[in-house]
Amino acid sequence: MTETLVFYLFAAMTVLAALRVITARNPVQAALFLVLAFCSMAGIWLLLEAEFLAMTLILVYVGAVMVLFLFVVMMLDIDLEQLREGFWRWFPFGILLAAVMVGEMFWVLGNRLTAESGLSTVVQHAADYSNTKELGRLIYTDYVYPFELAAVLLLIAIVAAIALTLRRRKGTKTQVVSQQIAVKREDRVRLVSMPAESKIGSAKKQER
Amino acid sequence: MLDNYFPVLLFILVGVAAGVAPLVLGRLLGPHRPDSAKLSPYECGFEAFENARMKFDVRYYLVAILFILFDLEIAFLFPWAIVLKEIGTFGFVSMMVFLAILVVGFIYEWMKGALEWE
Amino acid sequence: MMELLQTIEQTGQGLLGPLWLPLWTLIKIVVVVAPIMGSVAYLTLAERKILGFMQVRPGPNRVGYWGLLQPLADGIKLLLKEIIIPSSSNKFLFISAPVLALAPALAAWAVVPFGDGMQVSNLNAGLLYILAMTSLGVYGIIIAGWASNSKYAFLGALRSAAQIVSYELAMGFALVSVLLVAQSMNLGDIVRGQQGNYGLFGWYFIPLFPVFVVYFIAGVAETNRAPFDLAEDEATIVAGFHTEYSGMGFALFFLAEYANMILIAALASVMFLGGWLNPFHGWPVLGGLTDWVPGLLWMLGKMSVMLFLFLWFRATFPRYRYDQLMRLGWKVFIPLTLVWVVVIAAWMQTPFWLW
Repeated sequence: MTETLVFYLFAAMTVLAALRVITARNPVQAALFLVLAFCSMAGIWLLLEAEFLAMTLILVYVGAVMVLFLFVVMMLDIDLEQLREGFWRWFPFGILLAAVMVGEMFWVLGNRLTAESGLSTVVQHAADYSNTKELGRLIYTDYVYPFELAAVLLLIAIVAAIALTLRRRKGTKTQVVSQQIAVKREDRVRLVSMPAESKIGSAKKQER
Repeated sequence: MLDNYFPVLLFILVGVAAGVAPLVLGRLLGPHRPDSAKLSPYECGFEAFENARMKFDVRYYLVAILFILFDLEIAFLFPWAIVLKEIGTFGFVSMMVFLAILVVGFIYEWMKGALEWE
Repeated sequence: MMELLQTIEQTGQGLLGPLWLPLWTLIKIVVVVAPIMGSVAYLTLAERKILGFMQVRPGPNRVGYWGLLQPLADGIKLLLKEIIIPSSSNKFLFISAPVLALAPALAAWAVVPFGDGMQVSNLNAGLLYILAMTSLGVYGIIIAGWASNSKYAFLGALRSAAQIVSYELAMGFALVSVLLVAQSMNLGDIVRGQQGNYGLFGWYFIPLFPVFVVYFIAGVAETNRAPFDLAEDEATIVAGFHTEYSGMGFALFFLAEYANMILIAALASVMFLGGWLNPFHGWPVLGGLTDWVPGLLWMLGKMSVMLFLFLWFRATFPRYRYDQLMRLGWKVFIPLTLVWVVVIAAWMQTPFWLW
C-alpha cells in the first residue's frame, strides 16, 4: 500500500520534473529539474530493490554528470532567441527521432511486459539482502568481457576529453608565476634623481 | 530491505525541514528594510561594471569531465571490493586488468599536463 | 536500557498501531539531529577557544561563564538579522541554496552508528549512501555562487566545486580500500569487523594507515576547512560562495560546514578507529578496567579527537595555493589511494592476511 503510494509520488515527480526540463526557459533551471528527475528516478529504482543502481545514479549522474552540465550551462550565456530560431524547421525530425526511440523501447520491453513473469512482479527480499554483492558476484566473473570493454570505453573518454579541451586558447588571462618571481627591482621601479627645490632650501637658510 | 529505507526518506525530509525552518524564522523575526544600495551585489564599494556570470577557464570543465570518469571507476570498484573474498583470484585479476587500462589513461593525462594547474 | 526501549516500543505499537512506526522513527531522527545541532554550536565555541589558546589569547569569555553562552548569543544575533536577497540574484535559487547545502549534510547521518545497533537506519549500502549524500553537497555551493550574481560568490563557487570534486575522488578510493578489508558496506558490520581480542590492534587504521591519513586530509578539503579554505579566501574573494548571504542564510551554510566536519570525524572513527569499540579490549589490566565504559562514549571520544585535529590544522598550517591544492589531490592522493587498493587486494590473496 505505502509502496504503491510512494511509487506514484516518485513517478509523478519524475514526469513533472522531466516536463519542466524541456519547458523551463532558464537553462540552469532546466538542468536543476533534470537533477530532480534523476533523484526521483533513484527513488523508483530503490522501490525495485535495485539499491546499488539507485545509489550509483545519485553518485554518478547527480553528483558528477550534472555538476558538469551546470558548469557548462551556467557559464555559456546561451542565447535563447538563437536557440529557438530553427525550432519548427527541425520539429518533424525531432518527432521522428522520438517515435523511433519509443518504438525501440517497446521492442525491447514489450515482449517482457506481455509475458506474465518478468517485470510485473518484484521479488521481495529480506532485510539483509545485498543487491551490491549480487552484482559483484556476476560482473567480475560471468560478465568479465563487457567489464573490460567498459574500461576501454573509459580510457577512450579520458583521451577524448583531454584532446578536446586541452589546448591553448587566445585571450585567456593567466599569470606566469615564474616570471612574477623572477622580477627584479629594476624592472618595476625607476629611481629618478630630482634636484631639491631651491626655494624651500633657501628659506630654511634664511631662518638660521 | 525497503523497511530500512523508510527512515532514510524521513531523515532527508527532516534535513530539508531543518533548512527551511530557520530561514522562515529569520524572515519573520528579522527586520525587512531593503534599499537599492543594500541589495546591489557586493563589489568592494565599486559599481558592478560587467555581468558577474562570466566565461571561465576551460580547466574547470576538464576537471569536471575527469571527475565523472574516475567516479565511474569508483562505482565499478565498490561491488568488487565487497565480494573480493568470494570471487577469488579470477575477480582480482579481472579488476587488475580494468585498473591497468585506466592507469594508462591516468598516465596519458599526467604526461599531457591535464593535471597541471597554472 | 534495552528492556525499557522495548516496553516503549510495545506500548506505542499498541496505542497508535500503524502510525507508531513513523512517529518512533521521527523521534529517533530528532534524537540524532538535535545533538548534532548542539555540537555544531559548541564546536564553534571550542574552535574559537582552542584557536585562542594556541595563539595565547583567551578567546570568547564575555557571554556567560568562560564564554559558554557565546554560541547562543551568536545564534540569536543571526536569527534577528535581516535576510538580504540581492536584487540581481535569482531569488528562488538564492534561497534554496543553503537548504540544499544543509539537507544532505544532515541526511548522511541516517546510517552512522553511535553504538552497537544505535543508528537510525541499518542500511546494507550504508557507505554508498553516505558517498551519494556527500556528493550532493556541492550543489548548495554551485547554486549559491551562481544565484548570487556576484563575482566573488561566483569565483568562490567555482573554486570550491572543483576542489570538492577532486578530493571526493581520493575519498572514494579510500572508501574502497575500507570496503576491501571489511567486505561489507554496512557501517555496523565495518565496526564489528574490527572487533577482536587485541583492542586497537584489530582496527583498520593499521593496515590502511596511508589511506586513513589521505581520507582525513581529503575530508578537511571536502569541508572547505583551513588549510584548504580557498573557497572563502578572504584576501582574494571576500567570503567566496556565501559573500551575499546574511542572517539565517549564512548561518545555514555554517551549520552545513560544521555538520559535515562532524560527519567526517564520525566516519573516520567508524571506518578506521573501531567506532564504539574499546581500544583496550582484551588487554591484560587496562582491558578489565575500561570494559564498563559504554560504546557511545568511546565513539564520541574518538570523534572529539578527530575534530580537535580539524581545529589544530587551522591553527597550524598556512593556506594552500590553488595549484598546490589541485596537485595534492590529483597527483598525490589519487595515485596513493589507488596503489593502496591494489596492495590490500593483493595482500588479501596471500595467506598472510591478518585482519
